[in-house]
Parts: sequence; C-alpha cells; structure tokens
Amino acid sequence: MSDSSSDHHAAAAHGPVTSPGASPEDIGHGPDDHHGEGGHGGLWQYLAVFVALCFLTTMSFLTYSPYWPWRDEPQVGWAFMMAVSCTKALLVVLFFMHVLWEANWKYVLTIPAAMMAIFLAIMLIPDVGFRNRMVSQERALHMARGSDLKLLEQAAAGEADHDGHHDAGHVEHHDH
Amino acid sequence: MNASAASLGHDDHGHHGPVLQYQPGLPLSRGKLIMWLFLSTEIMFFAALLGSYVVLRFGAAVWPKPHHVHLSEPIGALNTFVLICSSVTVVLALEAARVNKRSLAKLWMLATLLLGSLFLGIKGYEYSAKFSHGIYPAAPRGMIYERPDLYYGSAVRARLGEPAIIERMKELFTAPEAALRPEEVAGRRSLKQVRDMLQSPDQQAFDLAVVADQIMPLPGDSAEGHGHGGGLNDTFPWLQLPMVIPGGNMWASTYFLLTGFHAIHVIVGLIVFAILLLYDLGPKRAGMIENAGLYWHFVDLVWIFLFPLLYLF
Repeated sequence: MSDSSSDHHAAAAHGPVTSPGASPEDIGHGPDDHHGEGGHGGLWQYLAVFVALCFLTTMSFLTYSPYWPWRDEPQVGWAFMMAVSCTKALLVVLFFMHVLWEANWKYVLTIPAAMMAIFLAIMLIPDVGFRNRMVSQERALHMARGSDLKLLEQAAAGEADHDGHHDAGHVEHHDH
Repeated sequence: MNASAASLGHDDHGHHGPVLQYQPGLPLSRGKLIMWLFLSTEIMFFAALLGSYVVLRFGAAVWPKPHHVHLSEPIGALNTFVLICSSVTVVLALEAARVNKRSLAKLWMLATLLLGSLFLGIKGYEYSAKFSHGIYPAAPRGMIYERPDLYYGSAVRARLGEPAIIERMKELFTAPEAALRPEEVAGRRSLKQVRDMLQSPDQQAFDLAVVADQIMPLPGDSAEGHGHGGGLNDTFPWLQLPMVIPGGNMWASTYFLLTGFHAIHVIVGLIVFAILLLYDLGPKRAGMIENAGLYWHFVDLVWIFLFPLLYLF
C-alpha cells in the first residue's frame, strides 16, 4: 500500500514531486522536525501523551467524586468535561494520529469535516429549544415529567421515614 | 501504485531519458488519503449521533441519573483507560515496525488486540448487567415504564398473572421462614402486598408510585449501591416486574445505539488487527499499520466523547 521508502528514493532522484521540492515524507516531517529517523514522536513523547490522557480522564472522573465543588450546578461539570474531552481528543489527533507532523493537506480534510460536524450540531440546537414547547397530546399523555421523579422520590422517602430499610412499611401504611 | 513508482525511480538512476512520473494530488500515500477521507465521513456520522443524543438528552423533561439505570462510572472510566492504552500500543507497534523490530511490533499489535478485546468484554459485561435488570432498548423485552400510571399498574398486574410467576410465588409464599434469607422474608411480605393491592385496587389506597418503589427503588444521588436498591426485582431476580424509570426508554435507546455503533467499530478494528498479525510487521507494512492505527485512534476518540456524555452527564 505505501512503500514509503521507495517513494522517497524516487523523489530524491527526480527532484520535485510536489512543489516545494520535497518528497511526501519530507513534507510530512516538516523542517522543524527534531525527531530522529525512527518516527515522529519518540517513546518519551508518547509516554507523556499517555500520562496526560490518563490524568485528564481522572480529571473528568473528578466531577463524579464527592470532591467536586459544583455539585449543585451540573452545567459547570458539563462544560468542564467537554473541555477535558476536547483536550484529550486534540492530544490523540495531534500526537497519536501524527497530525502535528503532517503537511498542509491535513487542513483540506479536517477543516471541512469539522465544519460539517459543527454545523450539524448547531442545526440541532433549535430542536432542544422547541422540544418541550410543542408537544403533541399523545406525547404529553405518556411523557415522563419531573413530577413523576418527585413522586417516586417521595415514595422512597416515605418508606425511609417509616423504618429505614426496604420493608413493606409504606404499603402497610396504606393498607390500614 | 508504489511498486511502479519505485521501479520508475530506480530505473531513473542514470540510463533512461525522462520517465513518466506518478504525481500524487496530495503528498501522502493513497491508502492514507482514503483512510482520512473515510475518517472524515466517520466524524460526521458520529457527530450526527452525538448531536441527536444531546438534543434528546437536553430536550427531555426527565433524564435518568446514571444510578437509576445501573450505570457504573468506574467501569466506564476503566474502559476509557483500556482504550487509551490500546491507542498507545498501536502507536508503539507502528514505531517498532518502522525501525524493523518485527517481533516487537507483533507484540505491541497483539497487546492492542487483547486490550481491544478487553474493552469489548467489559462492554459486554455492562450490557449483560443492563439486560439482567430488564433494561433493553425496546419492547417486548424492555420493561421500562416512564411514569407510575395505570398503564404501568396493568403491566405489573399482567406480569404477576403469568402462570410461571404464579407458580413461583406460590412456592415462595409457602416456604418456611427459616429457609429464606432475611431480605427474602421482607421481600415476600412486600410482594404479597403489591399483589393484593394490584389485584383489588378498589379496596385499598392505591399508590402506584409506592408499587414502583417496592419493585425497583430509584436511588438518590448519594446511593452507595449503584442502583441495587434492594427492590423486589433485585431480591427475586425471576420476578422481572416492569419498573418505572422516568425518561428510561429514551435513555436506553440512545445508550444502546451509541455504544452499539461504537462497539461495532471496535469489532472492525479488532478484525483488522487480527489480519495484520498474520503479516510480517516490518517497515514495508508500516503504512498498513499506520492506517489501521488511524482508524483505531478515531475509535478511541469517539469513546473519549461518549464516556463523559453517557456516564457523567
């Protein structure tokens, strides 16, 4: 599929294959590529990215732990987790997928795809806004509401008040 | 393509005149270009899925908390870790192949395959935990009801009226108390009351929220049991009574759709790795490994977004 070393030789023998007078591999590496012949990253770099990814996973897990200070405002946690996820995604794309060291063709592929993805998400936003304002009668009839959750929580709380463990306490109460 | 390019290149070392030369439109190998094009379509595919999830999630009046649907955040985090590890091993396999350390490359590739399988195994365990709690994406197996209303009550009554269940209940009610565990004794009493309440609703105070709570209590935020609240469905697994999880059906649909599509991608990646393991992983195969790796990193990438969205939001 890609015997890149022979491509390299061909280009070296011919001079320019693509405009700047470099073989695909040379362009791929770029002038400021300070790594050795062996590859892009080098072990230590991959290891650093790996540690960073693990650290970031722990960070997003932090929102779940009792030490997270904004328990009452879930939006803070959501924004935080999305920021963490985007950072992780960026690390994976840049280092593991070698995009950091690729030539400019990377923009040709990634920018349109990213724009399409973003527009797609934006186009869905009105749905979130309108979803609960225009509800069919059918849906309103069967839709779960926040009040249902409250009802269940009350039922659970009533039972807990009664005798603490899952006994038939509350049901008995209704029997009489 | 490269074979011909290579031969042209080597032919040109002196003796021939101008030779037609392959000029790539983009300075990368065809396989890699196609992989990237494929990945850009995949970006849009998962953007659509995740986007609709977000719409449904935040447009919903109620959405179950992770504990309500037996989601375990630590397991999700463990799976994230496993997938990140596998991303690292596939990169290391590529690096080893580039410097012609064939056996090392094979070892890393094998590690990737095993880690990917581990991910699938954990996912399968999670799925089976959902199934054992009656959480399926759709009826008739799905037993999630949105609200404790009359539809729910009649569904519970129908289940309690099934001959097999009647038989098991008869066994349970006649068993001597000494033969039962303490929670079974308590559960037996509560089951009897639920049954009586549903079978003669006109004679008793009739609160289906209480029935739902007896069958499967929804744990609060501080629940330590991760959804094992000790309801009837937990005490007597054979009962499998319908349960009330507000917003649970939409949750199940999106959860199984998103993780299912992701799991399909993982399976495809594992097949690719298994095929790669048959080859001699030297520098000649570096391109293949790189392309497989690109795909695998993308699968990792999707999970990086799926994990917080599904488990922590």
